[in-house]
Amino acid sequence: MSDDRPSGRLFGILASLLFAVIVLGPVAWALATSFKTEVEAVAVPPTLWPRMATLENYIKVFRDQSFFQDFWNSVAYAVGAVALALLVGIPAGYAAARFTFPGKKLLMLVILATSMVPGVALLVPTYYLLDSVGLLNSGIVVTIILSARIIPQTVWFIANFVEAVPVEIEESAFMDGATRFQIIWSLILPLIRPGIAAVATIGIVTTWNDYITVAVFAPEVAKRTLQVALVNQVFDAIGISWSYMMAFVMIASMPVILMFGFVQKWFISGLTAGAVKG
Amino acid sequence: MSETAIQAETLKARSGPRLTVAPYVWFGPAILILFLVTLYPSIFVTWLSFQKTRYYELVGFVGLANYAEVLGSSAFWDTTFVSMTYVVGSLAGALILGMAAALVLNDAGRTGSVLRVFILFPWTLSMSVVGSIWLWLLNPSFGPIPYLMQTLGLDPGLMLGDPGLALPLIIFVTAWWSFPYVMVMATAAMQSIPKELYEAVEIDGGGPWIKFRYVTLTQILPTLGSTALTLSIMYLTLMTLIIVMTGGGPLGSTTTLSFEAFRGTIQAVNIGPTAVVSIVVLLINVALGALYTRLSGRVTG
Repeated sequence: MSDDRPSGRLFGILASLLFAVIVLGPVAWALATSFKTEVEAVAVPPTLWPRMATLENYIKVFRDQSFFQDFWNSVAYAVGAVALALLVGIPAGYAAARFTFPGKKLLMLVILATSMVPGVALLVPTYYLLDSVGLLNSGIVVTIILSARIIPQTVWFIANFVEAVPVEIEESAFMDGATRFQIIWSLILPLIRPGIAAVATIGIVTTWNDYITVAVFAPEVAKRTLQVALVNQVFDAIGISWSYMMAFVMIASMPVILMFGFVQKWFISGLTAGAVKG
Repeated sequence: MSETAIQAETLKARSGPRLTVAPYVWFGPAILILFLVTLYPSIFVTWLSFQKTRYYELVGFVGLANYAEVLGSSAFWDTTFVSMTYVVGSLAGALILGMAAALVLNDAGRTGSVLRVFILFPWTLSMSVVGSIWLWLLNPSFGPIPYLMQTLGLDPGLMLGDPGLALPLIIFVTAWWSFPYVMVMATAAMQSIPKELYEAVEIDGGGPWIKFRYVTLTQILPTLGSTALTLSIMYLTLMTLIIVMTGGGPLGSTTTLSFEAFRGTIQAVNIGPTAVVSIVVLLINVALGALYTRLSGRVTG
């Protein structure tokens, strides 16, 4: 498809920039608003860049008494859920790639099937079950639920990654007397590290961005996340301050933005893994 | 039996008795979690759909009454129609924008590959964040978009408060947020097309349209198909954007099946009908998922 004429190339670049503006314009506007004073944010006509840039909105977010609790919960749920998914997903994925045994196909199909059950369809029964055993507002339960959302893809991806490693490597280590645990730990895991990084990155983004699970199963202020705190502010429409909200939006997205900046290659390979046949 | 297979067999044999029971143990923790969080609640919601409840207290078995109530109400069919409009509209927007972006950026050389990363970025933002940003951009009192429309002599009206405009706006925002995903998938598929195919068309004197129609499109169609299914599944269950931007209103114009399942969970007096709606969402999703699996042939040996 590539057009080598300079005019064609120029058109391509201009059109690409147009796409970049469509996508980044709204985000840039939100960023600019976050540095405006409350008065300037709602000024008519609107100012493109803050006339008087201020950090007051950010300071206000950090001063909010529940902010650090919300932030910590977001981190704990996301890291906990991904760690748990890897902890149970690596053995299952390894076994799927390396062992043949009756019922393996069925097990993998069951795991695949669970990935097709949408979380929203399970809100009512899960709420009912948690309510009846007094487990609403439990951080551990939320972590396990979030983890279950990413376990199927973790198992399938790990199985694919391990399959790509030649079995001869394990064979020779076996001859040298290594146990299976040693082989996985010091041979397989380092070899499939890029794959693990890709799954983990996608997992962190998914769980960090979750709103529904936490909002329904752990809405209590002490257990909620930044995403839930943000939506609660939207509902509080009367006292809404747009510049404060946009500062909150920026802070709530910052960890994901930073991670995306550092590991975008893995993020993209995680997205496309298995979906595109090379 | 190939040499590798023989070695694999030796490896298995030599690891001793551990392996006769062990494979199941390796799956144990993953299956246990999936059973507790996904499988058991799926069975339980089916059971709930035959029960009458009052604020999460079971009142009694009512057979198919909940199904009759839900499927017989016009509100349910309105909601189904809104869901379908939302899924199809967002999908059309995301596919067109995503394909256009993929083609254009593929032609823009190094600039293109740098911009691609930036364009993908909104995909990492949460739905609560995306909703908040657009709520701000669209708010009729101080939002920059209504202001821009006024300067151009257009009447912005109530924007998200307008029953005729709310759903199109939500569809627009959904497409804005998700087209970069289509772009990434289409690009990855386009980059795996053998160059020889294009050269062959060139030798036969085919122009850019022929190249696009008979090489690019034909080659990436399977990827586009599975991407479209992935997105449909996602759109069908997306409700955070609706919670944040319209709360299902105005006048129910943005109430989708998934939003209804969410609202029913947190405020219903009788959760039986909500269980029925949940089962409808679940069945559609499983059907789409099964179709996806078939098409992409992910299940092997």
